[in-house]
Amino acid sequence: MTSPQATTTDSDTIVAVASAPGRGGVGVVRLSGPDAIVVAQKITRLRELPARFANYTKFCDVDGTVLDSGLAIAFPGPASFTGEDVVELQGHGSPIMLDALVRTAIKLGARMARPGEFSERAYLNGKMDLAQAEAVADLINAASEASAKAAVRSLQGDFSRLMNGLSETLVRLRVQVEAAIDFPDEDIELLAAPGITAMLADLIEQVEQIITRTRSGVRLTEGARLVLIGAPNVGKSSVLNRLCGEDRAIVTDIAGTTRDLVREQLQLNGIPVELIDTAGLRDTNDAIEAEGVRRARAAASEADLVLAVYDLADPSSKEFIENWLEEFQTERSVIFPTEIKSNVIVIENKSDLDVDAENKGFPGKQVLTYRVSAKSGANFEELTEQLVELLTGDESGSGIGTREQTYSARSRHLLALDEAATGLVDAQSAITEGHGAELVAEHLRHAQAELGSVCGEITTDALLGEIFSSFCIGK
Amino acid sequence: MTTSNSTDKKPTAAELHPDAFDVIVIGGGHAGCEAALAAARLGATTLLLTQSIDTIGQMSCNPAIGGIGKSHLVREIDALGGMMARVTDKAGIQFRVLNARKGPAVRATRAQADRVLYRNAARVAIEAQPNLQMFQQSVTDLEVTNDRVTGVVTQMGLTFRAAAVVLTTGTFLGGKIHIGMQRHQGGRAGDAPSNALADRLRALPLNVGRLKTGTPPRIDARSVDFTVMGQQPGDEPRPTMSKFSTPADHPRQVPCYITYTNETTHNIIRGGLDRSPLYSGKIEGTGPRYCPSIEDKVMRFADRNEHQIFVEPEGLDANELYPNGISTSLPFDVQMQFVRSIKGFENAHITRPGYAIEYDYFDPRDLQYSLETKVIEGLYFAGQINGTTGYEEAAAQGLMAGANAALKIAGKGIWCPRRDEAYIGVLVDDLINLGTNEPYRMFTSRAEYRLRLREDNADLRLTQQGYDLGLVSEEQYATFKRERATVDAITAHLKKQHLRPGSDMAAALSAATGEHISKDQSSTDYLKRPKVTAIALQPLLAELDLSEAKEAGVDLDAALTQAGVEIKYEGYIKRQDLEIDRVKRHESIRIPASLDYATIEGLSNELREKLLATKPASLAKAARVPGITPAALSLLMVHAQKHAKNPKKVPGNAATEEQESTSRGEQHQG
Ligand SMILES: Cc1cc2nc3c(=O)[nH]c(=O)nc-3n(C[C@H](O)[C@H](O)[C@H](O)COP(=O)(O)OP(=O)(O)OC[C@H]3O[C@@H](n4cnc5c(N)ncnc54)[C@H](O)[C@@H]3O)c2cc1C
Ligand SMILES: Nc1nc2c(ncn2[C@@H]2O[C@H](COP(=O)(O)OP(=O)(O)OP(=O)(O)O)[C@@H](O)[C@H]2O)c(=O)[nH]1
Ligand SMILES: [Mg+2]
Repeated sequence: MTSPQATTTDSDTIVAVASAPGRGGVGVVRLSGPDAIVVAQKITRLRELPARFANYTKFCDVDGTVLDSGLAIAFPGPASFTGEDVVELQGHGSPIMLDALVRTAIKLGARMARPGEFSERAYLNGKMDLAQAEAVADLINAASEASAKAAVRSLQGDFSRLMNGLSETLVRLRVQVEAAIDFPDEDIELLAAPGITAMLADLIEQVEQIITRTRSGVRLTEGARLVLIGAPNVGKSSVLNRLCGEDRAIVTDIAGTTRDLVREQLQLNGIPVELIDTAGLRDTNDAIEAEGVRRARAAASEADLVLAVYDLADPSSKEFIENWLEEFQTERSVIFPTEIKSNVIVIENKSDLDVDAENKGFPGKQVLTYRVSAKSGANFEELTEQLVELLTGDESGSGIGTREQTYSARSRHLLALDEAATGLVDAQSAITEGHGAELVAEHLRHAQAELGSVCGEITTDALLGEIFSSFCIGK
Repeated sequence: MTTSNSTDKKPTAAELHPDAFDVIVIGGGHAGCEAALAAARLGATTLLLTQSIDTIGQMSCNPAIGGIGKSHLVREIDALGGMMARVTDKAGIQFRVLNARKGPAVRATRAQADRVLYRNAARVAIEAQPNLQMFQQSVTDLEVTNDRVTGVVTQMGLTFRAAAVVLTTGTFLGGKIHIGMQRHQGGRAGDAPSNALADRLRALPLNVGRLKTGTPPRIDARSVDFTVMGQQPGDEPRPTMSKFSTPADHPRQVPCYITYTNETTHNIIRGGLDRSPLYSGKIEGTGPRYCPSIEDKVMRFADRNEHQIFVEPEGLDANELYPNGISTSLPFDVQMQFVRSIKGFENAHITRPGYAIEYDYFDPRDLQYSLETKVIEGLYFAGQINGTTGYEEAAAQGLMAGANAALKIAGKGIWCPRRDEAYIGVLVDDLINLGTNEPYRMFTSRAEYRLRLREDNADLRLTQQGYDLGLVSEEQYATFKRERATVDAITAHLKKQHLRPGSDMAAALSAATGEHISKDQSSTDYLKRPKVTAIALQPLLAELDLSEAKEAGVDLDAALTQAGVEIKYEGYIKRQDLEIDRVKRHESIRIPASLDYATIEGLSNELREKLLATKPASLAKAARVPGITPAALSLLMVHAQKHAKNPKKVPGNAATEEQESTSRGEQHQG
């Protein structure tokens, strides 16, 4: 449907993560608009938010669950950045927490800000002079371009396929309902038809699945779990130390050094990941080591990404990986922001040693291989960039500026999916409760508009076109 | 071309016959009638010029008014003081409520009309209208000076002057009729096309296209066997089209019939396709997708072994039948054969062959919200020439164009209801922003605010606006006010009523509706249950004194029903209110006509061109430009604001341009 989707300075209260992208430490969520203070009071459970005073407080979601704690500062308008009532919530900067705060604000009536919208309001409320207008325009421009790119990135791969499939099914459903309304003489008496309710139930299941998978996809870009695996002594612990930039795991030339999981939280070009080192996989009589091996295998099967390491100078370690790949199975439930065929990356370690350069890769297997040296650090920069690209979809791999955008694009998409799901569920109850077709249609229209904000609007004309090609209508 | 010789002393009949008017309407079809009436109601001295006074209000095709989406338009015309609904009530010979089992928003009244009665009633309405004169002449030329229309010239060479001219010539411009491989020029069967005028208009800087539509053969009722067909009587209680009519205004009622095509019919049609103008490429115009010819249906839906035909009487005294569903341009011999293969039509005698007609239409994107062309000041277009189809769509535009022409003469601003106020608003907004590449018909699915654009509340949405403009009579307005007050009183009363389980009232209501009251609840919550009708809550009104309204003639059941509808939809409508508020605020952000789109960084070239072509007057209008993004709107807003703060920086005389944009852009909105 064509409906004016755009919004401008008006009575909406807007919310967004305001901390500079890509930097850890504090995270700021900013609210602006007439309800900013009310919404913040609900989140902080504070009765008063004195102006310009840093209140140390907890942040709660709508059910009262504490999400985080931090500072809440109110800047009542007009003496604020935007000229409207503004509240800043400063928390611990974990993107997951920031996301939860933004969602809570939205549930409480705020709306996700558009790129550059805070500045735009500031300008429109006379908080900036004429000379700054161009700058604001440029900012809106740049921000919207970047967010458009991020949205495109977020829409790649599985996600886009799933979304388009969803939208198509919904169009087919709406075609039935709208046709029944606009062409009653054509005997399209449908709402009661089991086909419709089944289609709707199926759609709801699809949306919910996509939501779950996308949510873990969002988590992936925030704290993906990477697991190192391989035969003993191939240099797994050395790789971990290299990636951490510090000696975290014990390295010796004794096979079987690592016995238990070693977990490290680190950032790859600013992207947070959890890297797990494991015991070298081998059959052993040592009970402790055997338990380590079991844990290693378990960790691999739950990994977002497995880094399978072998030693270029040790053909048996390569053979080992080859066999392991055959039997390795994961239930990859997350949707990567990038198109990847498998969630295993093979690391060919010890490239500093004099080895056969031709001995490359795994012909016939669709895995990415990287040749590095944990000793010299050779190729680690490339490896890091490659990992960042895989996890964020950012082709530059630099991680700068993209994390926030890809992330917020994806989380915008999630909000739309949530709303779409609500519309579908409401449509379903409208049918079961025996409400009129026009109310069912209204909920479906709402759901479609939400999906449309992700994968493109479906115009009325397109919908009518579908109706006319599906039914022989007209006298 | 008369632009140059307009100063020549033509032998006008000035002394004998007035030749200067405020508004001239060309064409006495459905658009023309409403246009002329609306202009005259607003006090403009108006001339209706039409090819033939005898065909005023002629139904070119299907003898029916209303239907889903369309009846909504008719109710709106009614609420604005127009004639279509009242005329339909004088001519309707079968009335039905479509979607009766669906909710009130999509319920629609449809009337089968007696062609002759309709024409007569239309003519009576035109003749009764003060300030309005008719004259029978075909218009051959427009007088245009400095891109401003000044008058029209007729076939006889008569000149009539006016600063506003509304063109409503339907399918007549360059009309070409096809029956099989034969074709001839015509405006519709039996009428000459308007070729001189078409040539003249084609010379104006307007975008012209070709569209096509068709009509079925008509059949002599005496040669039809109705006993083998399904009968479809009208509905009881019988609805009326106008709020101001009663079933007593209706003529005698008759039923319609239903029959079907069959495989034999389809085979005959397939056999004739090589001589079909549609399938042999003779027709270049695009036809409507929803009103396909029978040959289209057979080809596109090859798996269907029958298609429904509604057999509709053309009138009470007429023996002709309109077989709704078999529009065709196949050769006449094929038409005869396939008609006779249809059940009940075995011996059918065709009185007029079916045909397709191709005609010129003007890209409605060249129009403003007032339906005035952007390039020729004072020239308004309404009806089929704007790419629409249907009497109701034509009439709605006619009313808009006629009213705006008169407003302009009176020095007032443009008036157009918003999309959330009226289907008329949806129609105009869609046309001028999106254009159309097939004949545009109204559907409820085109209205995003469908739940509030209902038949039952057309008056509530529009009568106040209409009255403020001068379109609505004092009498109609007084009725409206009374009804409104009654509905409000009922709503307020219902909201105060609580239902307690076990009370006598609860027991009575449960018994009446079959819906139990198991916990304490407000009567409005109870009413929101699908099976509970407002009428069933009648007992709750016992303590409300409505005697005054009753004495004044207010239909209390209708008022209760309307209060009920509003309560039932309340939640949905509130949700839409937020969206509408935003549109309204965007309406208040004006975009100066002198805004230089070329200097705005960040607009795509495509968008820049579209904006340049449409020059939206406000942010809300810009939001309707196809392909606009939220970011582009933000940019426009920032630049509009910047421009407003510092207009001197703009090259050219910014002061006068500013002035112009406010006086032109100012809108009356309710
Ligand atoms: C063959 C055919 C099939 C159709 N099928 C359908 C259908 O299936 N469904 C549907 O909804 N609608 C259909 N229509 C359309 C419907 O008839 C029109 O939409 C509606 O009548 C348009 O109204 P209007 O006022 O724009 O034009 P019209 O009703 O066509 O009126 C035009 C008027 O202008 C007058 N005129 C023309 N040229 C001049 C001139 N130069 N000077 C003075 N007067 C002039 C004519 O005499 C006429 O009175 C069909 C029309 C035709 C012809
Ligand atoms: N030459 C060379 N030696 C390396 C490299 N990486 C690791 N080594 C050496 O290989 C040996 C084993 O390294 P670890 O990192 O302990 O190997 P591991 O895979 O963790 O071994 P386990 O924990 O026993 O399974 C050590 O002696 C390292 O110094 C490398 O890139 N080049
Ligand atoms: Mg180790």
